[in-house]
Amino acid sequence: MVAKVPTIKRLSDLKPGFSGEVAAFGNDVIAAKMMSMGILPGTRLMLVREAPFGGGWYVKIGNYAIALRKEEAACIIMN
Amino acid sequence: MHHHELSDISSPSSTRPITVALLGNPNSGKSSIFNRLTGLRQKVGNFPGVTVEKKSGTLVLDNGQVINLIDFPGAYSFYPNSQDERIVVQTLASPLAENYPDAILYVADVTKLEKHLLLFSQLRDLNLPLVLVLNMSDVAEREGQILDTQQLAARFKVPVVLLSGRTGSGFQALKLAIAQIKLGVNASEHKGRRLNAVEKKVSQRIREIFPELNPYQAVLLAHHQGWLSYLTEEQRAAIQKINSEEGFKSLNFQVEETMERYDICTPIVQQVLKSRASEKQTLTTRLDAVLTHRVAGPIIFFLVMLLVFQAIYAWASYPMEGIEWLFGQAESGLKALLPAGWFTNLLTEGVLAGLGGIVVFVPQIAILFFLISLLEEVGYMARAAFIFDRVMQAFGLNGRSIVALISGGACAIPAIMTTRTISNWKERLITILVTPFISCSARIPVYTVLIGFVVSERTIGGIFNLQGLAFMGLYLLGIAAALLAALVFKWILKTREHSFLMLELPEYQLPVMRNVGITVWEKVKAFVLEAGKVILIISVVLWALASYGPPGKMDAAAQDAVARAQQEQLDETTTENLIAAKKIEASYAGYLGKAIEPAIAPLGFDWKIGIALITSFAAREVFVGTMATIYSIGSDDDEYSVRNRMAKERNPDTGELVYTRATSFSLLIFYVFAMMCMSTLAVVKRETNSWKWPIIQFLFMTGLAYFSSLLVYQLMS
Repeated sequence: MVAKVPTIKRLSDLKPGFSGEVAAFGNDVIAAKMMSMGILPGTRLMLVREAPFGGGWYVKIGNYAIALRKEEAACIIMN
Repeated sequence: MHHHELSDISSPSSTRPITVALLGNPNSGKSSIFNRLTGLRQKVGNFPGVTVEKKSGTLVLDNGQVINLIDFPGAYSFYPNSQDERIVVQTLASPLAENYPDAILYVADVTKLEKHLLLFSQLRDLNLPLVLVLNMSDVAEREGQILDTQQLAARFKVPVVLLSGRTGSGFQALKLAIAQIKLGVNASEHKGRRLNAVEKKVSQRIREIFPELNPYQAVLLAHHQGWLSYLTEEQRAAIQKINSEEGFKSLNFQVEETMERYDICTPIVQQVLKSRASEKQTLTTRLDAVLTHRVAGPIIFFLVMLLVFQAIYAWASYPMEGIEWLFGQAESGLKALLPAGWFTNLLTEGVLAGLGGIVVFVPQIAILFFLISLLEEVGYMARAAFIFDRVMQAFGLNGRSIVALISGGACAIPAIMTTRTISNWKERLITILVTPFISCSARIPVYTVLIGFVVSERTIGGIFNLQGLAFMGLYLLGIAAALLAALVFKWILKTREHSFLMLELPEYQLPVMRNVGITVWEKVKAFVLEAGKVILIISVVLWALASYGPPGKMDAAAQDAVARAQQEQLDETTTENLIAAKKIEASYAGYLGKAIEPAIAPLGFDWKIGIALITSFAAREVFVGTMATIYSIGSDDDEYSVRNRMAKERNPDTGELVYTRATSFSLLIFYVFAMMCMSTLAVVKRETNSWKWPIIQFLFMTGLAYFSSLLVYQLMS
């Protein structure tokens, strides 16, 4: 786990509708899984909306979409 | 190159059946391609006792060559996140593994090529003959993509086929490419990804133990030695020793390898793809704005479910009446045609009655499987998982559990197998344990028959059939039981494993009716044949047990009944019925039922229901078949429908109706909760790898059923 440094921007800090580029991952296990689903450093992500009961995000990557939990989104560090 | 090793897949010298693996990412449209290639020539292991491990089918090429095609579960890479994906690694990591293919068809979604090439690039390093199949050509065309397949084929040194599993275009080219696969040699001069120093050393040392592996397969063994089932404990220890001596860092190397593979493939994709898909508002985006909306999403989900249950109840009634009529005709026809005697009785009262009791439910089962596979096909299931992930987590489950829970409405067996996509052991186990609470299609016959005794046939508000609503109520009761049980298990079971959602939400698409049709056909066939076999045997045995008794007892019982009828001056029909009832009570079946009556009497069940309970522990749907057999024996009326026979059933001593509201309610509750399906228990044993969990499951479910029924009956009567 990466220590909380104020300058780090996480995917989970974005507001729905905002997009950005992945800088790094805060966790190797998550990184490995994200990468196999096509999310790499440099990939553009867009936070589309929150899941109906909270706890998750609808994330758009180029022309496909992925559902991520908030904890998972928090491991994606954005530029 | 050794020339004698060259053999064309279609050459007559290849007498051995050729196995081709169909691989690809989840949502690559693999199944459509598989279904198109193999049609109904598919084999699926199914109940009783056997689970769907893999789908295989035969493909006959134009020159007559027969290919055995295996459809593997979708996987993103050789680093599996789930049980399902592990099958892929397990099969391909060693040439000695079961089902190791002679060649591979790799299916990639051409509109998401970069992402789909990761597994492709790993497969390439196995040096097996490989064909790159680019699916969704119709979507790519619509989106204005232009792809240089020739350049792609040249860069990767593999044959490339562009096709659409949906429209069927490009399949001739695919069959040609399959016919031209060269077996027995490395398909290309492909050297594989360059291993780093540590990987190289580890690979070398592992290959000293396993000379059959290629360098990349040895690396895969180093990564996955912890769970690969064909490794012996000594082999596992040996690999672990090599790993630690050489400083093999599995997770680091995995990330490194993945990055390198993207670095190689991405530039190639950028060169061969003329126009990339735009990020414009697609239909999927617009639909999801509503379907996954915070408020509208869950509401739409429940409306969809309501529609499904209304459909099962309302649409199925016409074909069901037709089937009942047909079996009734067959029974009276046979009775008229054949000479009277034990054989005719066995055929009509045993076999036909038992079969008719079950075939009648085929329409309902077909409709349910049809609607569920439709939801899967259009891509709605993944949305349901996304919507309910948070809720599921609260119950110790995963968003993906909703797929198992919904599929459980059709049959618990395939439903339990969908849990293989859940990576967390605890979430997966809980899903497996509670899924059988969801009312499966085998409960439909029982519910349909009994609801008629509890709720009247009325329509409220102009649309909702009251019985249909009661039907839905029983399903809701099952769901509530599943969630509460999950909560209990969440509290009892402990794990430190991390849980993930990370779920791809595929684009919505019109369903491919061929895929839906094949699923429905397979399920209905399995239901009729497999369940039919069990029902047939049980019907015959039951007929014998109910028609014969200890010597002299049945005649004595008949004489007693005649004497009593004369004494009470009963009319002819009542006398006949009394004789029939007394005779069956003196039969072997009667003795058996009477033996367990004390245990079930507090629930409001008589010995006949007891017999049905015993037989339906094999499979729930046997209940109605058993009832049909028991009630048809010795009865002379023309009534064919089981429901009507049951409705008329009276206690011969008291003259009261057997199926009172209290008894029917109690029986309904019993069937909502009880674990009465040997096939499910067998699958749970297989999926959890121990007898512990199926036994626990059987005991708590059946225990809950017993005490709930007891409560209901005692309160209502």
